[in-house]
Order: sequence, then structure tokens, then C-alpha cells
Amino acid sequence: MDFNLSEEQQMLRDGAARFVRENYGFEARRALAKSALGFSRQHWQTYAELGWLALGLPEDAGGLGCPFSDSTVLLEELGRGLALEPFVSTAVLCARILDRCDNVEARSRLLSEVAAGGTILALAHDEPGQRFKIDRAHVSARPVADGFWLDGDKVLAIDGQAADRFIVSATVVGERLPSLFVISREAAGLALEAYRLIDGSGAVDLRLHDVAAVRLTESGNTVTILEEAFDAETVARIAEAIGAMEAVMAMTAEYIKTRVQFGQPIGKFQALQHRMSEMFVEVEKSRSSLFRALAYLDAEPANRKAAVSSAKLAVADATKFVGAQGIQLHGGIGMTEEYSIGHYFKKLIAFEKIHGDSDWHLTRLVTP
Amino acid sequence: MRANIPADLARRSYVGGHPPLKTDVQKWQGILHKQGWGAPHWPVEYGGMGWDPIRLHIYMEELYNADGLDYGWQGLNMVAPVIIAFGSAAQKQRFLPRMLSGDDFWCQGFSEPNAGSDLANLRTRAELDGDEWVINGQKIWTSDARESNWGFFLVRTDPNVKPQKGISFLLAPMDTPGITIRPIESIEGGMGLNEVFLENVRVPRDNLVGEAGMGWTYAKYLLEKERTASAFLYFNKRELAKAKEIASRETIDGISLLEAPEFARKVARVEADLNALEWSVLRILYGERTVQNNDAVVSALKIGGSEMQQRVTALQLDALGARALREYHGTGPEVMAGNANWPAHIPGVAARYLFSRASTIYGGTREVQKNIIAKLAFGL
Repeated sequence: MDFNLSEEQQMLRDGAARFVRENYGFEARRALAKSALGFSRQHWQTYAELGWLALGLPEDAGGLGCPFSDSTVLLEELGRGLALEPFVSTAVLCARILDRCDNVEARSRLLSEVAAGGTILALAHDEPGQRFKIDRAHVSARPVADGFWLDGDKVLAIDGQAADRFIVSATVVGERLPSLFVISREAAGLALEAYRLIDGSGAVDLRLHDVAAVRLTESGNTVTILEEAFDAETVARIAEAIGAMEAVMAMTAEYIKTRVQFGQPIGKFQALQHRMSEMFVEVEKSRSSLFRALAYLDAEPANRKAAVSSAKLAVADATKFVGAQGIQLHGGIGMTEEYSIGHYFKKLIAFEKIHGDSDWHLTRLVTP
Repeated sequence: MRANIPADLARRSYVGGHPPLKTDVQKWQGILHKQGWGAPHWPVEYGGMGWDPIRLHIYMEELYNADGLDYGWQGLNMVAPVIIAFGSAAQKQRFLPRMLSGDDFWCQGFSEPNAGSDLANLRTRAELDGDEWVINGQKIWTSDARESNWGFFLVRTDPNVKPQKGISFLLAPMDTPGITIRPIESIEGGMGLNEVFLENVRVPRDNLVGEAGMGWTYAKYLLEKERTASAFLYFNKRELAKAKEIASRETIDGISLLEAPEFARKVARVEADLNALEWSVLRILYGERTVQNNDAVVSALKIGGSEMQQRVTALQLDALGARALREYHGTGPEVMAGNANWPAHIPGVAARYLFSRASTIYGGTREVQKNIIAKLAFGL
């Protein structure tokens, strides 16, 4: 196994780092996060032009067919800058679902649109009052002449505030397991309620009343497809988290070198030096976890699931520690919205919770 | 408490964030004052109840259980004991009754941009000019500065002596010309923290508390008066109860999360340490003559109590899972009552968790507390 970046990956990383440097200064990000959309459509076009959206997509549907480790190189840099575009939702989570779905026509049409930056997708799976659970959907799907009608409620469709289409899990009347459908944001009978999450991203609740939908998957393989897509998403978010943690370490080290108390830079205090070293240990552990999860991402499902859950657990502990210590070592200034470290903390806390928190992964790991 | 607190006020007190509405604060202080509980920890001669520590302990626990506002901290709990112990008769007469009735609210100006952990390094200066002190400098992390009409400040009045010796304790109306307040938004969205700029602020000579140069001593006295406060016991106990309540409302595979073995164990672990924290407080309240250094014990309490705030609020976050991530602002209907998809036990959880990161920073960072323990308990 080669752990070093290929020449192409280095170029990708450098390009992404430049994009972040030029577009994701603190004030620029803050303004975007406060805007109605929550990110920049112009940046989204840049993602498309640079080939980032096509990177992990299959070649037969307008993609570049690059290995997932290319996507994680990109995501580390986007995470370092806390980029707000819905890359993971659209180009990883939903794209993985589409790539493996049974509807050949929808697959090639929608993936081509994703690659070109022409559509933003969000998954609507979680439901009110329910913890994260893959094999359950109470939204119902009723067959009609030209497709299906969906009825019910979804919550927490991440990045849904900007989605042109939603992939919705629903159970076809008479079936036991859910299937996946795609609906348009403009569909009649669809009501959306948008809100923000603490990490700066947006989400929506969906109320579906006889909403026309196109079926993407059969109930027999939906759980398998969702599990694989959520695992890829988790690995993508791990990469983002590693970039974010490295940023936290870099800015905290810089801060304690310059912050003077008791007549010396506080970085001279061994207690704080050791804290930095502990953060370093956590991030090293996280990077190893990322590599290991990547190595198993295309393995048979049982091995993949175990590796991804193992990585999520290890990295979730790291994100909580590194994020919290980033604030702690900054002191009061770290608690302010006007300073970037708190935004990293919120991103790192959200990482642990999204689509399977530590408890969920721990349970999956010990009860396969 | 429960019979007298208006429901909407209690709800806002619990989920409304920092700072609370001033109208709520005044209303609640009025309700307590009417009962004679405006400042139950004060001596009877100044309008307090003169209660012993255990009675106060029970009172505080019930106040938190009723979601009553524990506000006016800086006034009733910090500056008042200093005025009572070191202030002039005129100061006592002027300030204490209005604090008790809720007519005056106070904020504290101690920290500065370059004097945080190293508080003795503070540089805000006050010089006598005839019958007035002229104050110049800057304070930061001043909680509730905008809602307060009085501030108490540590200022340097003598630059030529050892840093701790040249500090004085000055009182200033917050509407004095030359005082500018800039609110600082904190990471959970609150606006309770402020920067306070002081530019040629003139206050009468009489606004000095006690003697010039004794400010450091008074500040230490003020902190020692509240030795058990740093355990945040009442907050922590209430928040653990709330964590259990949240868990009881959440289900996992049809079972209440509170009864799911994995989560129940997590709760029990936190509760075990919280039980110990409570008895650490009781040991102090009952006046145990410990063989340990008293200040080291208080620092241990601060570390335990501040970390406990982070742990109990993290339990709440974990009980909600990803739904804890929704951002809420203000006290609109979705915060006050929730809705079908987002019931009332969700708003406020994320904000409390985020704000709890400050607990290991304010009032002396965890790292400073550890230095104190190393020095006082072990002579290191």
C-alpha cells in the first residue's frame, strides 16, 4: 500500500488549498454562513469547473472515476477551511446512492448533472422522534399510474435548504423494508422548513403530501445501498474532520506562541506543550483511521462496516478532544463567534453526531 | 419557588440563553424580594435572611429545580459581600437596598485583554484629580455589562509598587461619560459578554471601596466568600436531571433511552462523580477541618465542577443524537414550546453544551487551578 500522495493528488491538494486560501478567509466564510443559502453557488460552479464534483463519479455517467482517496484528499483541504458547499451530501452521499441504484435512466441523468454542477442533492432519511436507523422509513410510497406518491414527514435533511432534488426513503405500501425515491424541490404537495445547524450548514424538514416521486431502488437492496453510501459519507467526513483538526492545531500553536501571560508566551508552559502533543497524537490516530477505512471501503460489507465504525469511533474521540482543547488553550477569545476556533469546534462536534454517532457505531461494531 | 415562578419566565430562564431578559430578571428578583429572599445569604441587618450554609444550600437547589434565574451574581454575590465587609456606611446604605430590590444590577470589570489568567497584570489605571478618580483602560468578558447600571472595577492606582499592591476597587455607574460597551457574541449565539472601554471616566472619590491599594485583597475575599460556588453544584444537578428527562423522552428500538443499558451506564458514570462533587461541597459547608490546604481543595472543586458542566451537557447532547445540532435563537414559539418534529426538550441543549466550554476558562482556567494545587498541596 502506498500512503504517499500521487502527483495528481498533490496537485489536487494544492489546488484545493489555494481555493480555500483565496475564498475561505474567516470573514468571507462568516458572511456565507449567515447568507440565506448558507454557501456560494459561484463556488459550486468552481467545484464543477475544477472537476471536483466529477472526481469520484463513474466514467459512464460523466464522472472521472477516481479512487475515493482522491476525494478525501480534496475533503481534507475543504475541511481545513470549513468550506460550506454541500459537497458531501451531493457528490458523496447522494451520488453513491445514485451510482448503485436500480433506475438506470435516473442514474446516468442525475449523476451527469451532479458532475456538471447542475444539481444539488440532499438525502431525506431521518424521521421525527427517531434516532438514526438505516432500515426503517415510515414515509409511505403509494404506486400510481406514472410512479409513486409519497406521504409523511422527514427531518434533518442536511443541506436540504439548497437542494434541487431530494432522495427520500419510503416504504412501499405492502412492503416491509424501505425503498429510495427521488423528488423535485418544486413538487406539488411538498412543504419545506429550513433551519441552521451549529456547524454552519443548513437542513430542512420535509412534509410530504401526495408528492410525485420516481423510484430509485427496490426494497430488497435499499438497506445495502444506504449502508454503503453512509459509510462513504462517514469516511468523507473523517477526511474533513482531519483537515479541521490540523487547522485547530496550527492556529492554537500559533496563538500560544504569541499570547503572553506571567511574563512569557503561554506556549512556554509545559502543561500546554503537552496538551498540544496530545492533540498531535489524536490527529495521527485519526489519519491512520482514515487510511484504514479507505482500505476497507470497497471490501465485502461486513469488513467495510467494521472498519468504518472503528474509524468513526477513533476519530470522534479525537475531534471532541482537539476541538475542545483548541478553545481551552485560547481561553476567553476561543469562546467568541468573532474568532475562528469556536467554528471549528462546532464543526468537529457535529461530525460526531451526523448519520451515526459514536454510540451507533459502537453498537454496530459489537453486534454485526 | 415552584408556586411563584411564572411558567414563561421559568422556560425563558432555562432555554433563553445569555443574557436573560432584564424584565424577567427584575420580575424574579421582585418575587424573591417580596418573600424576603432577595439576598438570603446576606446578614439580616442588610435585608438578608442570615441563613446558615446548609439552609442556603437547600434554597439554591430548589431555586434551580424551579428553573429560577440565578442572576445578579455580580451584584448580590460578589460586590455586596465586599461592600458589607469593607465599604463605608454611606456605600452600604446607598447600594445594598437597591441591589436587593432589583433596581440596580451590577457587572464586574476584572479581566483585561492582557490580564486574564495573569490578572495581577491588569493595566486599567485610575488617578486622583481633585475629588474625582479618572479611569482609563479596557476590560473584557464583562458579563451583562449592557444590562447593568453599576460596575465594580479593579484598577491600578499605584504603578510603582508590586503589581498586587497597586490595585484598587472602584465603583462606577455604567452610564458615566467615557464608558463604551461593545457586546461580544459567544459561540452559542449569546450576547452576554462584553468589552468595556473606559476613557477619562470620572467618578467621585467616594466610589473607592475601602482603602486604595487593597483591591487585590478584596477581590480575593470576594472569591473566598463563594468557595463552594465553583462546583456549580445546583446547575450540575439540575442538568443531570434534565439529561435523564431527555433520555426518557428519546427511544431506541422502542425502548426509552434511559433504560437502554449503554446509555444508562453513561448516565451512571457521570452521576457517580456528581454524587462525590455534592459531598465535596457538603464537607466545606459543614466546615470540615481538612488536613489539606483549603485553597487547593477549592481549586479541586472548581476543576471538578467545571468539567462536570461539560459532562452533564454532553450527556444531553448524546441523548438527542444528531437532532441536538439544530441551532436555535431567541425565545420565539419554537424555542418556548417546540413543535411536533422538534419537541420542547430539544431547544437549548446545544447552546448549553457549547457555552459549557467556557466553564473551564472563566473564574480561573483549569490550568491555573492545577498550578495552584501543585503549589499549595505539594509545594511544587
